Amino acid sequence: MVQLASGAQVSGRLPSAKPALPWVTTAARVVLAAVLIVAGALKIGAPALSVQAVRAYQLLPESLAQVVGYGLPVVEIIAGLLLLVGLFTRVAAGVGGVLMVAFVIGIGSAWARGLRIDCGCFGGDGTLAAGQDPNYFWELVRDIGLLACAAWIVVKPVSRLSLDSALGFGGTREPVDEDGPDEGRDDRD
Amino acid sequence: MSKRTSEAAKARIAAQREALRKQDQRRRVTMIATIAVVVVVAAAFVVWSVRQGASEKVTGGLAAVTVQEDGTVVMAQPGVTTPVVDVYEDFQCPACKQFEETSGATLKNLAAEGKAKVAYHVITIFTQEPTKSNSLRAASAARCITDGRQWVAFHDKLYKNQPSETSSGFSVDQLISWGKEAGVTSSGFDDCVRKQGNVQAHQTYTQQVMSTQKLGGTPTIKINGKELDSTTAFVPSALRDAVINAAKS
Repeated sequence: MVQLASGAQVSGRLPSAKPALPWVTTAARVVLAAVLIVAGALKIGAPALSVQAVRAYQLLPESLAQVVGYGLPVVEIIAGLLLLVGLFTRVAAGVGGVLMVAFVIGIGSAWARGLRIDCGCFGGDGTLAAGQDPNYFWELVRDIGLLACAAWIVVKPVSRLSLDSALGFGGTREPVDEDGPDEGRDDRD
Repeated sequence: MSKRTSEAAKARIAAQREALRKQDQRRRVTMIATIAVVVVVAAAFVVWSVRQGASEKVTGGLAAVTVQEDGTVVMAQPGVTTPVVDVYEDFQCPACKQFEETSGATLKNLAAEGKAKVAYHVITIFTQEPTKSNSLRAASAARCITDGRQWVAFHDKLYKNQPSETSSGFSVDQLISWGKEAGVTSSGFDDCVRKQGNVQAHQTYTQQVMSTQKLGGTPTIKINGKELDSTTAFVPSALRDAVINAAKS
């Protein structure tokens, strides 16, 4: 980090010298997974509320609001579970990242349009309780933080305690020679 | 000697290749199986979720419906006094429309089955325009109806035609024509809707309900005075269970 001038050389030998990085990815996985699973679990049992929360954003046509209302909690839970156990890590993190981008757009646009809604992130029908004010700023901060977790995992999908490495997915040992997501990790040898 | 060595080496390489190939194949099979498991789990979640959201159909007729003096509308079989399901709602509130679409039929069925006494309390929670006036016009018009069944039909019609929260709606002309479609026959209905003469009574009622019931918003559903979680109210099967259980205790 100190010598920027020789940065290229330094980063060239980094792979062998950063055993902590896979643990960072593991931590990012757990954080993103926990939020996704909790958010999905709080919504999936009452899909009518979930649909209503989507409608509250006044962004999607009715048919899409239905699909998102029912589908989103399932996608959140599946992506969360996959991240938790480290299975198809990169794809799951990619899905999580796309969701976060969508949430940031949704909340940002609700804020910009002056809507007064609850984000419905963790259940509810999107209406604020009496006397409650919108909390857009912190909702955005949270989702951008989670987006950063997702981005990190996509870039560095190899992590400790993951089924991907246990099952030999994701090419930690040998790269998959078709179009697997190995990202040239094989040029180590 | 050297020939044998090279042959042994070749064989070893071939065996290694074969082993690698096998490993690859195993991995592929594992991956396909894993994906299949994930898909099945996801499908199971979807099926369960859809069941949670599934509405009942109004099977039989309605229970007897009476419009009370203060504007409360009670739906129950004769003699059924408990459990009481109170519904606090606003014709303009989108979540109330969603509640009606999701769980409205369950309440009608429970009342018809003699398993509950349902009381509708129409109030106006909006304080800003255009939603406030929309809500007041609709509620005032509903108060022009004295026949219980017609009131319920009108009530359903209003939710079906609920205007957006950003536009002026529930116009007097619309309200009159929906009343006709709902089977309202009384001769004074048009005039009553046009004059909006019930706004005052409706606002008084709203204030009284708000101050005694401490509502956090609409819709609020109470069973024997106890507020229901929205995750119960918006899940028809859970709502039914909650009412049935309340009858037992």
